[in-house]
Amino acid sequence: MKAKSFQRVSSVEEAYKLVKESPRNKIVAGGLWLKKGNAEVETLIDLSNLGLDKIEDKKEFVEVGAMVTLRQFEQSKLVPVMAREAVKAVMGPAFRNVATIGGSVYGKFGFSDVVCGLLGYKVELEFYPEGKISLIEYVKKPGFYDGILTHVRIYKEDLKAFFKKVGITALDYPIVNVAVTKGKEYRIAVGSRPLVAFRAEKAEAYLNEGGKDFAKAAELVVEELKFGDSISNKGEYKKQLALTYVRRGLEEVNK
Amino acid sequence: MLVKFNLNGLDVEYIIKPGEYLLDTLRANGVKSVKKGCDGSACGVCTVLLDDKPVLSCSVLTAKVEGHRVTTVEAIQEEAAALADCFSKEGADQCGYCNAAFALAVHALKQENPNPTDEEIKDYLVGNLCRCTGYQAQQKAIKAYLGGKK
Repeated sequence: MKAKSFQRVSSVEEAYKLVKESPRNKIVAGGLWLKKGNAEVETLIDLSNLGLDKIEDKKEFVEVGAMVTLRQFEQSKLVPVMAREAVKAVMGPAFRNVATIGGSVYGKFGFSDVVCGLLGYKVELEFYPEGKISLIEYVKKPGFYDGILTHVRIYKEDLKAFFKKVGITALDYPIVNVAVTKGKEYRIAVGSRPLVAFRAEKAEAYLNEGGKDFAKAAELVVEELKFGDSISNKGEYKKQLALTYVRRGLEEVNK
Repeated sequence: MLVKFNLNGLDVEYIIKPGEYLLDTLRANGVKSVKKGCDGSACGVCTVLLDDKPVLSCSVLTAKVEGHRVTTVEAIQEEAAALADCFSKEGADQCGYCNAAFALAVHALKQENPNPTDEEIKDYLVGNLCRCTGYQAQQKAIKAYLGGKK
């Protein structure tokens, strides 16, 4: 990555103005993903001074600033346990001290354990200037918003949750990741297919309407969601893993 | 551009490129204890402490470090020497390439969690790779080090 200038902005408005000025002005979140590419950036926009590094209890929801690191997130008692577990599945602490929640969510990366885990909850994103959008709508929407992701809100719910990252070692990308929650309704998310995690709405509907056959629900998940080959794993293998872990997840949240 | 931060207790100022990463800044300025392994945020040999927390210096933009504290193994020599003794007693030491990063990670672990379980030690050191050994000896050495300091 090459950059011509670096600017630590003092307001979200200022950051947005820079983003709109040129497609080559880029927001730096943790800076990890930017490094991977050969991007030639005009101005790197740093959001470190905007107070977006806090996790706050807002009664109905927990509000997570976009610049909160994955490590802060996993260590916060305010954050629901399964979401913390999903984040802990990402690399080691020295990586997670750099990577941010905002960067992980905004990028909706196919391999993202963060997005998969969060899809088990009712999660709302706050963008400037676009406003609110649910996480599920954001991942389904093709492309990205032009604006700045400022907050991730996790609504408080009483639910049982399951998360599984299947990977060869802790440092590998997941072959597949699965999140299952059961509160007032079921939620099932499967990611790294190799596309970003999606909710399996048909299987959820089957269960929410009283369906009890977990193997059948898992079949519905793999029928609905697309699985494809990645560099190291065949889509068919990912599908078999999803079948097993969705079923186990459903058993787990029904214990 | 100019960046100012605190390196091992000293205020430093470096001229850097806007897109430069901390690993390159440190090595260009003589801090060669910070190793360049994968340069892709996987191997952990570039670990330094940023405000006392371990980070992969290959993946931290130097410009973002403005106003913060960076610690490398030079600043924790006593602890590193004590850990090195434990490593040698357990035969955990071979080429030594990963040791400086290990020492910083273990030092940070000790600050954060002075009495870690085996599992917590393992979790903390995910991402600090050693290609010579099988981690068993390190695990024993780290336990001996943390135990010895209690």
